[in-house]
Amino acid sequence: MLASLPEKFREYGLPADVRTLLLLRKSMDRGLIKTLGDVYLVLKGIVVKEPRHMGPYTQAYYDYFLNIKLKPGESLESAILRSETFKKWVEDYKKDNPEDERDLLDLVEEFINHVHLTSYDIKEILNGKDIIDGDDPNKEDKDWDDLSSTPERKNIDRMADYSEMDLEELLERMKQIAEKQKGKHSGGDRWIGTGGVSPFGHSGAAKGGIRTGGKGGGKMARQVMGNGNFYPVDRDSIINDNNVDAALASLKGIVEETAQTKLDVDKTIKNGLKQGGIFLPEMEDIKDKKLQVILLIDNGGFSMMPYVRMVQDLFKKMKTRFAHDMKVYYFHNTIYSYVYTDAPRTKKVTIDKLLTNDPNYRVFIIGDASMAPYELNQDSVINWGRIAEKFKKAAWLNPEPQKYWHYTMTTQALGRIFPMYPLTPRGIEKSVQEMNKKMDK
Amino acid sequence: MAKTQHWTGSKKYVCDPNLAQSFHMARVLGMPLLIEGEPGTGKTELAIQYATDQKLDMFTYPVGSKSNVEQFVAKFDHVKYLRDSQIEVLNTQRDEKGLDSKLSTGGRSTEKLGDYIIKGPAAQAFSSPNSVLLIDEIDKAPREFPNDLLYALSHRKFIMPESGDVIEVSEENMPAIIITSNREQELPTAFKGRCIYHYIHFPEQDTMREIILKHHPKMEKQVTQAAMNIFYHLRDLGLERAPTTREILNWLKYMKQFATKEALAKMGDLDGIGALIKTQTDLEKIQRHILRNPEDFKKRSLSN
Repeated sequence: MLASLPEKFREYGLPADVRTLLLLRKSMDRGLIKTLGDVYLVLKGIVVKEPRHMGPYTQAYYDYFLNIKLKPGESLESAILRSETFKKWVEDYKKDNPEDERDLLDLVEEFINHVHLTSYDIKEILNGKDIIDGDDPNKEDKDWDDLSSTPERKNIDRMADYSEMDLEELLERMKQIAEKQKGKHSGGDRWIGTGGVSPFGHSGAAKGGIRTGGKGGGKMARQVMGNGNFYPVDRDSIINDNNVDAALASLKGIVEETAQTKLDVDKTIKNGLKQGGIFLPEMEDIKDKKLQVILLIDNGGFSMMPYVRMVQDLFKKMKTRFAHDMKVYYFHNTIYSYVYTDAPRTKKVTIDKLLTNDPNYRVFIIGDASMAPYELNQDSVINWGRIAEKFKKAAWLNPEPQKYWHYTMTTQALGRIFPMYPLTPRGIEKSVQEMNKKMDK
Repeated sequence: MAKTQHWTGSKKYVCDPNLAQSFHMARVLGMPLLIEGEPGTGKTELAIQYATDQKLDMFTYPVGSKSNVEQFVAKFDHVKYLRDSQIEVLNTQRDEKGLDSKLSTGGRSTEKLGDYIIKGPAAQAFSSPNSVLLIDEIDKAPREFPNDLLYALSHRKFIMPESGDVIEVSEENMPAIIITSNREQELPTAFKGRCIYHYIHFPEQDTMREIILKHHPKMEKQVTQAAMNIFYHLRDLGLERAPTTREILNWLKYMKQFATKEALAKMGDLDGIGALIKTQTDLEKIQRHILRNPEDFKKRSLSN
């Protein structure tokens, strides 16, 4: 059961594995995890490795720990609203806070506050003036009185303190909750599970005058719900302004250069002899193959029109990255014996000339590969074949959705010559990976 | 575990609560903290301010395109070694000729290879307990650099070149390692796996006001507000290089010399805009947007 955490998180495309669990356990041993909010925070630091993981991570967390599943395109708020977990929570919350007459939407925020209440928040709230300046002084004063000299410790004690519990137990408990929601057999039992310890670690404390929604928890809730960064960016969508950078990040992966220096033995000896036996070390740079890119762009034909901007964007970004080592050629639909060095296709370059380039060039062909069957004649196929033969690290990036490739004969034919990938960040990433593999051989 | 208390910032530095938490977590777990985010959001500042506030030794390694692990950890100084060994030969020759004056090796002995090792920031940080080690802008490094660090990061251990000495640090004494990146290149997964990750989101207005207050405590509220209005307005224009925290602070530094009224007028005219905007295209874009209706712009920015 414990083992299912990495699996669940992997389903959301997150890099979770056994190490994640080991680190989670370590955090537990070191007392970092006392509330469910802490689990969110700690796991975030461990699992999330780039901004685009944030959305899937929040989704996976809600799914795994709270059994709240987001439907595609649904907001977290409405997913919570329709969940069993939330309904149960509201029942209990109303029991504990009969005076709270806010509507369900406000309670969703309260729910999120409770979920994300961390021990940092508790400390901050207790250290800060929030309690004294709270909106309900009488009630809080009463509770403030029975706190002893170490209010912080005591309050954390009153909240569910998980520091004594081991990870399996904690997860077991959370899982039980999730099961209960599914099995609807809660009866009179508190939904929070056995033992009266709430995974939210709040209910006692909430009575004690700690209202989340101050500086700590409330901010979290707003972030989860209101911040676009917390929602997934569709990496399979066609390249647009926002994700073109992500795509290029992976493109950069093919750079292989070192900048180390080593002792130049020959030169040192030679100069040493000249200097009458005094050997002064001469250093030399270690130079490795640098990244060289050829871009072949189909910039003609109506079929490419919808993708022009996208290709231009990619091109612009590539140009700033590989300013010195990029050659660009244009063609229309397919190539016969020429490609062009300028976009309006006036300056011709023969294929033979193109083929004189160093075979270490990585070649990206950007085009939709769809044309009338007669256009892709024997000549053209042979030329494409020669390019593929010469440049082993070549890839075809196709802006057309992959599901249509199957229907176009020419696309299929060219797909047999070049490995073809969709012009999406993921497609580009894959093509780069494949190229790198070839390099390793 | 020594320095693992939760640190939330100092008088001069507003530490975003989320960042503070990640930083705390990284120190408790004895892992490096990897910070990414837009330029100018205070990534590097965290390490500097933490070290200053806690009075800890700090070692910085600014990463560049020529960076390698040798510079970072330790380097064997071939030049000195060769020189000293030549000096020994020379001194013997002088001896034979009965000359008294000898060349000095500066106390180094070619017998002891350890004398020729130049320690880099990493080796220094690992040999001084509870220090702060900042690896700045790791995304500028050649691709293999982060991979080369993996062993050191997970075993807290460096092997010195040539001499074979080992510098090792216990988890208790481990330096707080902070790594920053501008995301110019993707870091290897294995490397990221060994770090606690934090992405700094651009500060919202409230946080920004706090940050400005820490840097320019005497600034008039009105001026700050106007600057922020303009600043966030410019950020919304979708510029090529949107101004960041660093830029607004510089702009206000410039405005500091003027009296409130004068400063407001100057802001309305976008005086000193060079502090905020760094490319020609952006400047043109702003001129198109704002100079089309300067009066309206002034009214909007200078109102509260």
